[in-house]
Amino acid sequence: MLPQGVITFLDRAATEGRTSLPDRDCSLFLSGILDSFTLVEFVTVLEKECGIRVDDAELRPENFDTISKVEDFVRRTRKQ
Amino acid sequence: MTAYITSVGAALPERVVTNAELGPMLGVSGEWIESSSGIKQRRWAGAETSASDLAAMAVANTISASGDSPERVDYLIGCTMSPDYQVPGVAPLVQSKVPGIGAIPALDIRTACCGLLYALQLAQGLVNSGAAGSVVCFGAEAQSKGLPLDRAHAEITMLFGDGAGALLVQPQAAATGISLRIDDVMVFTDGAFARDLVVRAPGSGNGSAWLSPEQLEAGMHLPRMEGKSVILHAVRKLYEAAAEILARNGLSVNDIDVVIPHQANGNLLKLLAKRMELGPDRMVVNLDRFGNTGSASAFIALWEAKMEGRLKPGARVLFLAFGAGFTWGAALASVVPGPVAVALQPD
Repeated sequence: MLPQGVITFLDRAATEGRTSLPDRDCSLFLSGILDSFTLVEFVTVLEKECGIRVDDAELRPENFDTISKVEDFVRRTRKQ
Repeated sequence: MTAYITSVGAALPERVVTNAELGPMLGVSGEWIESSSGIKQRRWAGAETSASDLAAMAVANTISASGDSPERVDYLIGCTMSPDYQVPGVAPLVQSKVPGIGAIPALDIRTACCGLLYALQLAQGLVNSGAAGSVVCFGAEAQSKGLPLDRAHAEITMLFGDGAGALLVQPQAAATGISLRIDDVMVFTDGAFARDLVVRAPGSGNGSAWLSPEQLEAGMHLPRMEGKSVILHAVRKLYEAAAEILARNGLSVNDIDVVIPHQANGNLLKLLAKRMELGPDRMVVNLDRFGNTGSASAFIALWEAKMEGRLKPGARVLFLAFGAGFTWGAALASVVPGPVAVALQPD
């Protein structure tokens, strides 16, 4: 599960995009919740709320495309 | 030793292409272009004007404004992503187009939108080593000629404009006016992301053919950008480069009077300014009028800052740039009394 702060960010982005949070395997990009610029802020929120540092090599949009991919990414990063 | 930027110059094509004109060509609205990029218009070079033509004008303006003669220039460093030809580079062409410049070294550096920083570091090194005494660096683009005018490429084509800028680096500040003392330059590269911002053909990395009909059909000769990746990395790396160069010089962002960034995208610059806690008045932004002029953009922004009187004696200037490669970095300069000559007249 993602921290509440991350979900709150996505909820707000969804509201601003006049949509709602999609299923955990649906694209946050295609659903209009994240774009090139909100993605930057999303990664910042993710790092802060999850207590992780996204390495440059992992700073790839595909890691943040769906809620389940984000959860996997956070889990993987925390294990390292 | 110390090196100074003693003169700056620029050249911009006459033709203004507004969003209202460009939008229908790309199948998007002008409002969408502005909200996506902050760009309202850009300049496009005419059919008979090349990157080296624009560069030669900017270089000639820079030398003229310095009060020096072209004969005294002893090194030429050029940056472009839209060269006249694949071979030779643009710098030799500029050398031949500025009357009076001798048979000096003239080289291209292919670091895309980060060109000013790489050129500045090289020029500083040449001057400090005594290998050169008057180094002219320029960035020039006629990239509109390579932009596809269709909906599939709207997000790239809407960004780019043409133009050129130049600067002169010498070991002493100029005698009158202001100069910029180059205090520090740091540049970086991460080639793991080379293909996220790329023009693949012609090239030797595409199989057996340098350029084939199949590659043309596939659009490999056109610019391709993974926008999300570029913006993710650009914001982070620009912020980190700024933080690092400030820290190693014992400065904070509050000590910076003017920030001259590569003019990538207005929304990106807003994000960066927010992250740096930088008021908008301290950042030089001209992409609303000129678009993203690639390797020329920081040169042109420097020229505009000088023309607008924003470079006051004592001011500290922070340059920031990010480009294909990925390449990125930062530079610090201090405005000192002396003369950055200016008298540049865009065509």
